[in-house]
Amino acid sequence: MIEVHGLTKRYGDFTAVRDLSLRVGSGEVLGLVGPNGAGKTTTLRCLAGIIPASAGTIHLAGHDLTATPVAAKRALAFFPDEPRLFEYLTVRQHLNFVARIYGVRNHETIAQPLLEEFEIADKADQLPGELSRGMKQKLAIACGLLHGPQVLFFDEPLTGLDPLGIRRMKNSILQRARAGATIVLSSHLLHLLEEVCTHVLILKKGEKIADGTIPEVAARFSQGEPTVNLEEVFLRATGGTEG
Amino acid sequence: MLNALLYLRLTSFRNWLLSRVRRLRQPKYLIGAIVGTAYLYFFFIRGFTPHPQQAATTRPMAELQDVLPAAVPADWLPAVAAFGAIALLIVATLMWVVPFERAALGFTEAEIAFLFPAPVTRRSLVHFRLLSSQLRSLAGAGVMVLFSQRWTFLGGNALTHAVGWWFVFSTLSLHFTGANFTLTRLADLGVGGWRRRGLVLGGVAAIVAATWLRLSAASRTLLPGNDANFSTLTNPAIDLTTTAPLSWLLWPLRQVLGPFFAIDARAFWLALSPALAVVTLHYLWVVRSAVAFEDSSVEAAQKRRDRLDAWHAGGRRRSGPAQGRAAPFALGAGGRPELAFLWKNLLSTWPYFTPRVWLGCAGGIILGAVWLRTQPDLRALAVGAGGIALMFAGYTAVVGPQFARQDIRSDLANTDILKTYPLAGWQIILGELLAPAAILTGVLWLTLLAAAVLVGSDPVGPAWLTAPLRIAGAVGLAILAPALALIQLIVPNAAALLFPSWFQATRTRGGGPEVIGQRMIFFFAQMLTMVLALLPAAGLAALLIFILQWLIGPVTAVAVGTAAALVILVGEFTVAVWWLGGRFEKLDLTAELRS
Repeated sequence: MIEVHGLTKRYGDFTAVRDLSLRVGSGEVLGLVGPNGAGKTTTLRCLAGIIPASAGTIHLAGHDLTATPVAAKRALAFFPDEPRLFEYLTVRQHLNFVARIYGVRNHETIAQPLLEEFEIADKADQLPGELSRGMKQKLAIACGLLHGPQVLFFDEPLTGLDPLGIRRMKNSILQRARAGATIVLSSHLLHLLEEVCTHVLILKKGEKIADGTIPEVAARFSQGEPTVNLEEVFLRATGGTEG
Repeated sequence: MLNALLYLRLTSFRNWLLSRVRRLRQPKYLIGAIVGTAYLYFFFIRGFTPHPQQAATTRPMAELQDVLPAAVPADWLPAVAAFGAIALLIVATLMWVVPFERAALGFTEAEIAFLFPAPVTRRSLVHFRLLSSQLRSLAGAGVMVLFSQRWTFLGGNALTHAVGWWFVFSTLSLHFTGANFTLTRLADLGVGGWRRRGLVLGGVAAIVAATWLRLSAASRTLLPGNDANFSTLTNPAIDLTTTAPLSWLLWPLRQVLGPFFAIDARAFWLALSPALAVVTLHYLWVVRSAVAFEDSSVEAAQKRRDRLDAWHAGGRRRSGPAQGRAAPFALGAGGRPELAFLWKNLLSTWPYFTPRVWLGCAGGIILGAVWLRTQPDLRALAVGAGGIALMFAGYTAVVGPQFARQDIRSDLANTDILKTYPLAGWQIILGELLAPAAILTGVLWLTLLAAAVLVGSDPVGPAWLTAPLRIAGAVGLAILAPALALIQLIVPNAAALLFPSWFQATRTRGGGPEVIGQRMIFFFAQMLTMVLALLPAAGLAALLIFILQWLIGPVTAVAVGTAAALVILVGEFTVAVWWLGGRFEKLDLTAELRS
């Protein structure tokens, strides 16, 4: 469960995110959309505790991110658009390291199925430099899932994946949601959001324009049309302009 | 086409310069620029203005007509010219011996992406690279003038020296490219690496040997005598370089050095034409011998980028493809998470930092010291080596943190991921500091061990420095070493966290005065912090040892002093880590780099 009230992030005079409130329940997948510079990544980084919010409160799995950051972070996993890996740790050593950080006692029994699920089991002793970008992405995700997070944040999760990898990633997200995880993902791939998201939130210039289930948001911008896809909704909601 | 390439080079240079100037609007760069410019002025530029003593004989940079006769001592000039020619011959020989890959031109990845698919001839690409290397030669000449302007025996002035340096750099650059092209052609003809090396080295050695045999017996005497001008050493060198057949081999190199060693305006003008002819011949050689360089240039650019990335990330430089290796110790899932950072960061460094290697080194030091102490003739050497070990320990403590950087400085790019870990900021900082602290402690322990076992071999040392006291002192310093290393590491890590944009700027290659200034500011900050951190600990320890040695004996007093100093250092470190942890939790790298 994610509960956010009045989230604001300022950089000097510039406000990247303004007074954002949202609620995502267990098993729900929220798609964060908006033009370039709308504040999607900033929002995700605030929600994941990477950068401090200028104002507002964030609760993750019942923990206040400001008051009890360690407990809140124990429940979350963040997947940046560019996989951040340690250059000199092999695939297996990455999982070993993350297991110690999160205190995952039986990590071998969890790690192996994850490696197999993401098809990198045969790369276990290779360094990131020897992996393709898609495989690095898979390793980053396997590391994030090792401790069984209840809240997952994905920033452009499909970047660099091949078609099979994209399908597997979508299935993986849906599988985690069905298992009760709370998921927020940011992407420009609107067809992905239509496939995996239960809810959508549209940001523009750091402000929320609309949120709700996909049918609710579509209905708001349908202008009486019976079927409107998310791309059309996005264009109408944002006026087809940047930021 | 060359116009377009010239445009690219000059525009890039102009924009690089403008971006540097614009950055001065930010106070941190401005301060850095002021400090750096002051440093450059006081240490280099000021030398161009006439010294009071030189005022009578030396004038500032002027027209070529103002070139001055050589000053003191003019009789050194032939020897310096001879050694200069020999140095150039060695460099040129290495250019034919060392390369083991196909010829590659130093294009950047962007240049490759834009220029290789463009409708540009291979010859134009060669010209583009030559043009770029000429700009670098000019810059190099400018820098070298700053250094060589103090070589008063040369005569000449800054302008003649600049032209002289340009001839040297241009020739070497062209020779390097020409040699690479020729070697690639030879390789294609089946002249392999070792055969080629044998031919080159054998040829040069034969010429030197033939020349040597032709010298008179007096010229072959190399033992230095008691003369103040070292003529017994320099005369054979002069004779060697002026005797055939070596003199024939050195002739073009001497022409290249001519403008630099010209003692007056007439000699300079006379030296210009032959030097220019050598450069022109080199240019023609390069242009006519150009071979396919595209594949190897792409590979070289990739390698260069990898090296740069590794350097930016603070990692070790790789010479070959990276391979995973065994962990330094078994990391269980339970226990202090800080140790996971030690484990991870030790994996990122050289594989030699293991207990087995440390113990082996310690054993070697002890065995060496024991053997040295049994050799009465080498007692002075043993004491000297002990002193050097002690100095190296001091050097490690002061400068070591700049080299051992497997900490937050290397992980700055991973800040986003580190901040999602369920750990307090101080835990991450502490964990990150452990690996470089362990490495520095290991080095300090080895040097202290060497100093302790070697210095004691001096039978005429101070009487108060008894063996027990020496051991107590060494053990005390060894106990303090980890705390000292940790304290020292706080400063560069704090700099990285407090001024990430400064830190990024200082890690930019090709920086101007502002980057020199920023590095100096960091260095002085480190020195100041070290003094401030050590002063209370050292002061209390010294006071306790001074007072207690009369009551409980010097050895016990040293132990008490060590304990007191350790408490203070640990306390300072605890406060610093706790504070830095807070800074880390608040760090927003995006905001910092945005400003």
